[in-house]
Amino acid sequence: MPVLSPYRVLDLTTERGLLCGQLLGDMGADVVKVEPPGGSSARNIGPFFNDQPHPDRSLYWWAYNRNKRSITLDIEHELGRNIFRKLVERADFLIESNSPGYLAERGLGFSELSAINPRLIYASITPFGQDGPKASYADSDLIIMAASGPLILAGDEDRPPVRLTVPQAYLHACADAGVAMLAANHERTRSGLGQYIDVAAQQSVGMATQAYILAAALGSTEARRMAGGIKFGPLDIQLVWPAKDGYVAMTMLFGSALGVFTRRFMHYLCERGFCDQATRDKDWIQYGELLFNGTEPLSEFERIKEIARTFTRSHTKNELLQLSVEHGLLITPVTTIDEVVDSPQLESRNYFQSIDHPELGASFRYPGAFVKFGATPIKYRMRPPTVGEHNREIYESELGMNASETSELKRKGII
Amino acid sequence: MADTRPLSDVKILDFMWVMAGPASTRILADYGATVVRIESPTRIDTARTLQPFHGNTLGPDSSGLFANCNAGKFGISIDLANPASRDVVFDLVRWADVVTESFSPKAMRAWGYDYEAFRKVKPDIIMLSSCLMGQTGPLSKIAGFGNMAAAISGFHNLTGWADRPPAGPFGAYTDYVAPRFTAMALIAALDHRRRTGEGQYIDQSQAECAIHFLGPAILDYTVNGRVAGRHGNADFDFAPHGVYPAAGEDRWVAIACRTDDDWRRLCSAMRRDDLSRDARYSSAAQRREHSAALDSAIAAWSKTHDPIEAETILQARGVPAYQVQNSAEAYRDPQLIHRRHFVDVEHPTLGKFTVEAPRAKLSRTPAEVRSAAPTLGQHNQYVLEEILKYDDARITELASAGVLG
Repeated sequence: MPVLSPYRVLDLTTERGLLCGQLLGDMGADVVKVEPPGGSSARNIGPFFNDQPHPDRSLYWWAYNRNKRSITLDIEHELGRNIFRKLVERADFLIESNSPGYLAERGLGFSELSAINPRLIYASITPFGQDGPKASYADSDLIIMAASGPLILAGDEDRPPVRLTVPQAYLHACADAGVAMLAANHERTRSGLGQYIDVAAQQSVGMATQAYILAAALGSTEARRMAGGIKFGPLDIQLVWPAKDGYVAMTMLFGSALGVFTRRFMHYLCERGFCDQATRDKDWIQYGELLFNGTEPLSEFERIKEIARTFTRSHTKNELLQLSVEHGLLITPVTTIDEVVDSPQLESRNYFQSIDHPELGASFRYPGAFVKFGATPIKYRMRPPTVGEHNREIYESELGMNASETSELKRKGII
Repeated sequence: MADTRPLSDVKILDFMWVMAGPASTRILADYGATVVRIESPTRIDTARTLQPFHGNTLGPDSSGLFANCNAGKFGISIDLANPASRDVVFDLVRWADVVTESFSPKAMRAWGYDYEAFRKVKPDIIMLSSCLMGQTGPLSKIAGFGNMAAAISGFHNLTGWADRPPAGPFGAYTDYVAPRFTAMALIAALDHRRRTGEGQYIDQSQAECAIHFLGPAILDYTVNGRVAGRHGNADFDFAPHGVYPAAGEDRWVAIACRTDDDWRRLCSAMRRDDLSRDARYSSAAQRREHSAALDSAIAAWSKTHDPIEAETILQARGVPAYQVQNSAEAYRDPQLIHRRHFVDVEHPTLGKFTVEAPRAKLSRTPAEVRSAAPTLGQHNQYVLEEILKYDDARITELASAGVLG
C-alpha cells in the first residue's frame, strides 16, 4: 500500500501550488484537484503537447498534476461553496495558493472550514506569506528569486543577475508545505486536531542561497556573481569548466575538507603530466588562507586554474565523468535535457516512468519516484486529469447526487 | 511544560553531513524531533569549512552554513572506525525511530552499518540513505556535492545566457531541493509504521528528487522532442520580464509583466504611455520579439531610480517588481523582518548566531529553533548519560578507548 493511502487532500491551488498535492499523491494520498469550471488557469501555461494550446495538453499542467483527480466547481457561487463544504467534511488536508484573504472573503477561510471539520489541516502557499507589509505585492517566479537572495548570486558579472529558466520559486514553497502538512498530520494523531499552515515562497527560497542570505547578519563578506562560479573576496572560484564537447561542473576548493579532494586532483594532474611536482605539492588545505593573506599571489591561483582548464578541455564530458568515477575526482558533466532523459544511471534505476494518455493514444515518460521506499513504493496510478474528469465519480458516487442534479449544476455553470 | 511541537515524540540518529542531509534533519528538529547527530572527530564536516563565516573568521564553529543546517540538534563525536564504537552506535539505533546517512553507498556497508544490521537490533527501524545519484547504478559511488548533482541533472545548462557558457544556478542547487523530499519521506514512513508496525529502508538520489523541479522541460523533451536551452531572464509567457539596472553600483530591480494590464501599468508608472500605444508592443509575443528596444527603454527609466524606489513605484501600481537583494538588503527587508525570518540563537562559544527561521508557520503547534548548532562533541556527555543511560565507568571506558572525539 502506498504510504499516504488513507488520506484525502483537497487541492485548490493555482499555478503557484500544484507540486505540493502531486508529491502527496505520489505517496498515495487521494488528491482531488478542485478547478473552476473550464479548468485551472495553470492549464494555459505552456509548453503544450505538439505545441497545441489546449487545457488538457499543457505540459506545465502535466508536470505537476499526476496522481490527482479533477473536479470542476465554482466557489464564487454559494451553491458551489456549499458543495465544497461537504467535501471538506471528509477531507484530511486542504492546500491552496490564492492571494491572502481570497478564500476567507468567500467564507472558506481556515476558521470557517475548521468549524466544519476540526481535524482539517489547511495549508496556504503564497509569495510572501499571509501577513506583513509586502504580503499583497504582485509576484512572479523572478520577483521571488529577487526577493529571496539567490538571484543576485547567479549570472555573469558583466550582465544582470540571471534566474533558472524553468520557474523554481513556488516549487520550493510547495515542498515546504508538503513537509509541514505531514508534520501537522503526525501531531494530529495525538491531538485529533488540525491546524493552519502559512508558507511564504520568499522564505522557502532562502534555502537556495546556501546560507548566504545570512552573510550580513553574521558580519561576513557578501559573495558576488561570476560566470560559472562565484567571487568571494579577491577569489574567483570557478565551478563550471570547459570540456572538449561542452562543460563540466568541477569543485576545486580548499580547507580541511575540500582541500583533500584538490590534493588528490593535483596528484592526478601531475601523474598525467599536466603540472610539475612543485605545483602538485602546494598546501591545498591552507591554500585559501594563503591567497587571502597574500602569501600566495592570485596570479598563481589563476595559473593553476589554467592548468585545470587545459586538462578539462582535453577531454569530453563523458571521459571526464569516467575519470571522476575511477579516480574520485569531483567532476560531473553539465548535461542537456536529452542527456538527462537518456542517462544510463537513471535508466539503470528505472527512473523515468511511462504514463499512458489514452485520450491522446500515446504514452510519455515522466520523472520517476522521488525516493525509493522499500515497503511502500511510489506508484503512478493516474495521469494528470483532464478538466473535470472525475465530476461524476465524486459528485454522484461519493456525494450521492443523481444525474439530474449534476446536470442542473452543469446548466447553472457551477460544475 | 511538555514540548507540543509536532514531532516531539520522534527520535532521529543522524549520520548525514555537508548540506543536503543535515538541512533535512534541521527541518525535522524545528518540528520537534530529537536529532542526535554523529560527527567524526577526525574527518571534519565539509560544511564547517564553508562560507559565510560568523565574524568573517574561519573556525570550526563559525560556518553560517553549518549553523543553519544543524541548529537545534545534539552533536556527538564518535570515531566510527574504532571497533569500540559499535556498541554505542547500536544502542543509539535501539533508541532511534529513524536512522539517516548520506555517505557514498559503500561507506556504511564497510562499517557494517547497513539497514539489515540495524533491523536486527531494531526491527521497525526506518532508515534513509541519501546520496547524489542513489544507492545503485553505474554512478552510485560518485562522491561529491550538490553543484555536481545539479549539473548532471540539467540545472546548469538552463541557467545563463544563450550566447555564453552556462552560468549555473548559485551553489549546490540539489542540496536546496532534496532536503524537503527527505523530510517528507521520513514523516510519511513514520505514519506507515504507526499504522502497520512496519519500518523500511528508503533510497534517495538527490538528483532524482531535483529533476522534479525541471518537470515541464523534461516533458517538453519526452513529449515534443524539444531540448530546452538557457535564455537569460526571458520568459515563455511574460514580457517584459527581466532584471534591470537601478541607480548605484551593481544594483538591480526585477520586473515581470504577466499580462497586458501589467504592461500598461508599467508604462504609466514610467510615464511612458507612448510605449503602451506603440503597436510593436501590443502583445506579449510582440514585446518579446522587440525585447532589445523595449528593455533599453525600461533600463533608461530604472537607472534613474534606487532599486527600492523602483520596486515601490511599480508595486503601488500592481506591477510585479522587487529589488534584487543581497544578504544585507534581505536582512533589512521589512517583509522578512515581519515574518521573523532571521532568528538569533545563543552559541556556546560565539554568542549570538543568526540562522534562518523554520520553513513554515503552523498555527497551533509551531516549529521553533531552540538552540545553536552543536560544537564538535558538545553533547557527548548528555547523549551517553541521559539518552543511553551509561554510567560513569562506561563513559570513562569509551573515552580511554579513543571512541569519543
